[in-house]
Amino acid sequence: MKRVLIVDDAATVRMYYRLILEEAGYLVVEAVNGVEAMEKSLRESFDLYIVDINMPKQDGYGFLRELRGRDELRQAPALMVSTEAADHDRKRAYAAGANLYLVKPVKPQELLVNCRLLLGEVRP
Amino acid sequence: MAEITIGKEDFLKFREFFYRKTGIQFDDAKRYFVDRRLAERIEATDSRSFRNYFMLLRFEASGEELQTLTNLMTVNETYFFREEYQFKCLVNSILPEITTQKKDSRPIRIWSMPSSSGEEPYSIAMYLLEYWPGIEKWDVEIISSDIDTKILGQARRGLYSPRSVQHLPKNLLAKYFKAAGDGFQVSEELREAVEFTRVNLMNQADVRAYREFDVIFCRNLLIYFDDLSRRQAADTFYDALHPGGFLCLGHSESMSRISSLYKARKFADSVVYQKPKEAR
Amino acid sequence: MPIVKKAPAASRDQDERELQRDCASLVLQLADGDPTTRRWAAKDLVGCPDVSAALIGRLRQERDPSVREIILTALTQRADAQAVAALVECLRSEDVSLRNEAIEAMKTLPDEVAPIMGGLLGDADPDVRIFAVNVLESLRHELVEQWLKEVIERDPHVNVCATAVDLLGEVGTSYSREALEKLKERFPDEPYIRFAADIALKRICSN
Repeated sequence: MKRVLIVDDAATVRMYYRLILEEAGYLVVEAVNGVEAMEKSLRESFDLYIVDINMPKQDGYGFLRELRGRDELRQAPALMVSTEAADHDRKRAYAAGANLYLVKPVKPQELLVNCRLLLGEVRP
Repeated sequence: MAEITIGKEDFLKFREFFYRKTGIQFDDAKRYFVDRRLAERIEATDSRSFRNYFMLLRFEASGEELQTLTNLMTVNETYFFREEYQFKCLVNSILPEITTQKKDSRPIRIWSMPSSSGEEPYSIAMYLLEYWPGIEKWDVEIISSDIDTKILGQARRGLYSPRSVQHLPKNLLAKYFKAAGDGFQVSEELREAVEFTRVNLMNQADVRAYREFDVIFCRNLLIYFDDLSRRQAADTFYDALHPGGFLCLGHSESMSRISSLYKARKFADSVVYQKPKEAR
Repeated sequence: MPIVKKAPAASRDQDERELQRDCASLVLQLADGDPTTRRWAAKDLVGCPDVSAALIGRLRQERDPSVREIILTALTQRADAQAVAALVECLRSEDVSLRNEAIEAMKTLPDEVAPIMGGLLGDADPDVRIFAVNVLESLRHELVEQWLKEVIERDPHVNVCATAVDLLGEVGTSYSREALEKLKERFPDEPYIRFAADIALKRICSN
């Protein structure tokens, strides 16, 4: 079973992703910000990260930069999902280490297809 | 008094709120445990329903009820070798790293707070003496602080019930304790090894002199603080630590609700927090 | 005996900091090259009059996160009009961490933030409105539900509404029921809005 870590401070958003992903057969773990996401990543391993940008304590960019800076964690793909739709947000996300960028709100199918893509389960 | 019921949606709502505030996550199996404690507080606060009580938790200006409830939801017991995996981490990983990188031969400094009745600092002292080979080469200072002078007196006397020493290996009990009344007293050797001081963590004048520590233990305290006090405590520890120094929190505490200044480090026995080496 | 007893004070000489810490020199130290000096200056400035502007000026250019944290704490403790205005200004920053730090600080200032909340929720920039809703997440103020309800009734931007409806799952009461139903009609093609509104409604019905 592939393991996905959802990093978002909005409880309903985490619940929404969880429902979609569990239905599709993934195992889901949640974190409310970058610091908790890092704590959890050190304790267990994940095949995919879904990361929001605006969060307290440590934002999504900071988390991805830290993730990519740690040898044991840098491989796992990350999908960044945010309310921010400008071009420079997308560029920043990729620069921080995101593999794909989606703008909220996401549709279930959109989320799922992109997760499968990053997990190498479908071809682009 | 009518029976207080907590519905499934209430439980889910509370669970999310409590997780956001503390980082503690209750699974469905804990439902009964959580419901019972909620019911207890609903009655004690005269809230009459979950709805009213939840509003109190969420909106009370002082945040006091949330503290009371957190206390009730977490087991806050202190005994020798509690959360022993962190002492293992101290001797197996933290101290070896510190001594390898240390550029002088000054003593290693450890701050344990709150001291409570002394179980934690004495456990640290025993652990170092028994399980850390480096103790042959290095001097160590253990300072342990609490806000409560009465409990500090108790800690200095070092008298304990059989219950609080029950997790100690028999040989250590024999070596470091003597029978006293119905219980035990820690040896003079250990009592001599720990310096107990009174400190209010929130008072800048109190904490100012606390500097140049290599390791700080602050377990199961910050979880009871409000957001601002937690952050101030984390700032105080930041100033008290050497760059590269370590901070150990309790097992139910997460730095994610406190501060982003520290770097999480994974060792074989535990995840602990480190003040960045490049910090000043 | 390898474990030695010693007073808590560090072996380094007590405190040069104790000497001559008047407010004017503290302000100067905010620009010192050493982050530790800047941290201590910011801590000690809490007691000085009229220094919010100096703290804010420093915050805008400060790169060291540990100094920023102290400055934000100091501004939160001061909570004068100038400090609050500065926090609001941070919401417009392109610096994501600064923005989030400001949101966190504002969450702890219900009385100071309440008078300006209406303006923030009506800001022309949807990002600022989202951040204003974020402030409501933990704000201990009796108007929180009313503000959220007004957002989901009026705000044209789906993500501002999405952020508000998430919070109504926690603080919503029957007062917001109708607005939640209408929100689903306003965004019929957004599964997330339906999902979040339904959760909030379910929780309202259960009590």
